[in-house]
Amino acid sequence: MKLKRVFTLTRAGIIESLQFRLGTVVIVIGNLLYLIVVYFLWKAIYSSAGTDIVNGMTFSDTLIYLVLATALFNFMEMYIVWEMGRDIQSGKIALNLLKPMEYRGFMFWSYSGSFVTQFFFTFLPTFIVVAAVTHGAIHIGINMLFFVISVIMAVSINYSIDFLVGTICLYTESIWGINIMKQVIVMLLSGATIPIAFFPEPLKTIVYYMPFQSIYNAPLSVLLNGTTQPQSILTTLGIQLFWCIVMMLLSKLFWKISLWQITVNGG
Amino acid sequence: MSNIVEIKNITKEFKVLNRREGLKGSLKDLFSRDYKIVRAVDNISMNIKQGEIVGYLGPNGAGKSTTIKMMTGILEPTSGEILVGGNVPYRNRTKNAQEIGVVFGQRSQLWWALPLIESFKILKDIYGVSDKDYNNMLALYKSLVDIEPLLHKPVRQMSLGQRTLSDILAAFLHDPKIVFLDEPTIGLDVSMKAKIRTLIHALNKEKNTTVILTTHDMGDVDALCQRIVIIDKGKMLYDNDIEHLKGFFGSYRKLKIRIDGDLKQYAERIYDELSDFKVSADDEWISILIDEEKAKVMEVLSQLQSSYEIRDMQLEEISTEEVIKKIYEEGVQ
Repeated sequence: MKLKRVFTLTRAGIIESLQFRLGTVVIVIGNLLYLIVVYFLWKAIYSSAGTDIVNGMTFSDTLIYLVLATALFNFMEMYIVWEMGRDIQSGKIALNLLKPMEYRGFMFWSYSGSFVTQFFFTFLPTFIVVAAVTHGAIHIGINMLFFVISVIMAVSINYSIDFLVGTICLYTESIWGINIMKQVIVMLLSGATIPIAFFPEPLKTIVYYMPFQSIYNAPLSVLLNGTTQPQSILTTLGIQLFWCIVMMLLSKLFWKISLWQITVNGG
Repeated sequence: MSNIVEIKNITKEFKVLNRREGLKGSLKDLFSRDYKIVRAVDNISMNIKQGEIVGYLGPNGAGKSTTIKMMTGILEPTSGEILVGGNVPYRNRTKNAQEIGVVFGQRSQLWWALPLIESFKILKDIYGVSDKDYNNMLALYKSLVDIEPLLHKPVRQMSLGQRTLSDILAAFLHDPKIVFLDEPTIGLDVSMKAKIRTLIHALNKEKNTTVILTTHDMGDVDALCQRIVIIDKGKMLYDNDIEHLKGFFGSYRKLKIRIDGDLKQYAERIYDELSDFKVSADDEWISILIDEEKAKVMEVLSQLQSSYEIRDMQLEEISTEEVIKKIYEEGVQ
């Protein structure tokens, strides 16, 4: 793939997302409201538990985790299923298939611009605020580097899952239900809404063997457990890399098969 | 001149589920394996030369879009061969994409939120157009249409006409060998239609780009196409130049005359006298469809003049529209 194509699409994405200033403001307000709910909810949970530490996490641990998970969600959520579904329903997909570029890559890089803006406008401010308010709850060191690597892989896994689900729209021609289902599953099993430490035992183990926890739980644990030994960090990254490759291959394969179906049977 | 498109006996069949009626039927359909085969394109062959403008016509549902999708590589033919610019389109879709440009009626390939110039820049990089070629192309565009005010306008704020114009320019930007225009003038006003026709014509002349145009507007055909291909129900009905088409059903001309009095009555009387030709009357005119192989218009006119007092007359050539309508309705004998 030519690098110039990638840059031009990213650049367009940045300009495009900057056009909708109001949208960004609304998203920020919505997140604040969500976080207020989260704060009171967990406060209630901790006060009814009667102890300071629940499942190995203090109240502030949990809150930091969830605030950062929300910030990460804003940054990584791609709405690719929507985009693909709309493309398919409107028939615009035909035009995108006729670009001299693979559709999977085209969609990803078209979207990548909003990563950049979201990173600077929501994730980074949240991160700085959390780091400042909690006075060193976030260890700043080599773990930052691992965190960046981890997030990059998380983005890739998240995209692969989205693309896989989006491809299903080729068959169903409906978007709504599929998208909601995907969102609920990913949000719950990835640890974006409830830290995985709180899951009951059999589920916890099962979740560890699924790709979802590599999206939110993995980068956050790399970031927040900065003092743990490098071996466990490497294991986390290793699992992520494994899912990164597996999901990429799966989504590519499924797309290829589906596209072949379409060229033979018509859309 | 070499052939840019070579199509040999292509056929395209779709498997369609037989849908049943009602709620119960819909539930049954979920598990149904009851398919029927629909043949959308049936044994079509044609060759198109570099630089031609071909009008690809047919009534709705005739199989036009299916053929175009096969030429662009979105669909694979069930049988037969297609070569576009030497490539098999469905096997080398991305490679083929470099050689073709498309405008699909109402859909836009432009970036909705961005000014037009940004879309051009993105397309330039995606298609790998060199700076020099890009600037030459923009200069050419500027000489053909007044795009300066459009360049910095976001696409979402454009009128339909402006957007179609922009989409056509975008399709030609990477100097493709062949451009597919699927109903480019749909929903546009008269002056915009004329502008777009002039533009397509000029780009075809300037760049020797092959244009394949589907349309329901015979104005487009008359203004642009040297050659037309007509298909219906998947079968090819006609493939020849446009002059041929008019002589296709004999050389008809329409003579219209005005006589004082009850036109309907006169029309019947004239029909009895002439018997060879179709005669009809509306509020103002009596129309006589004359086949010039049987009688000359002037002979008919003088014959009529000897028995009626004709106040006024008009002579109409049969329009492409009427011939096409006749082909759609009656087929080719």
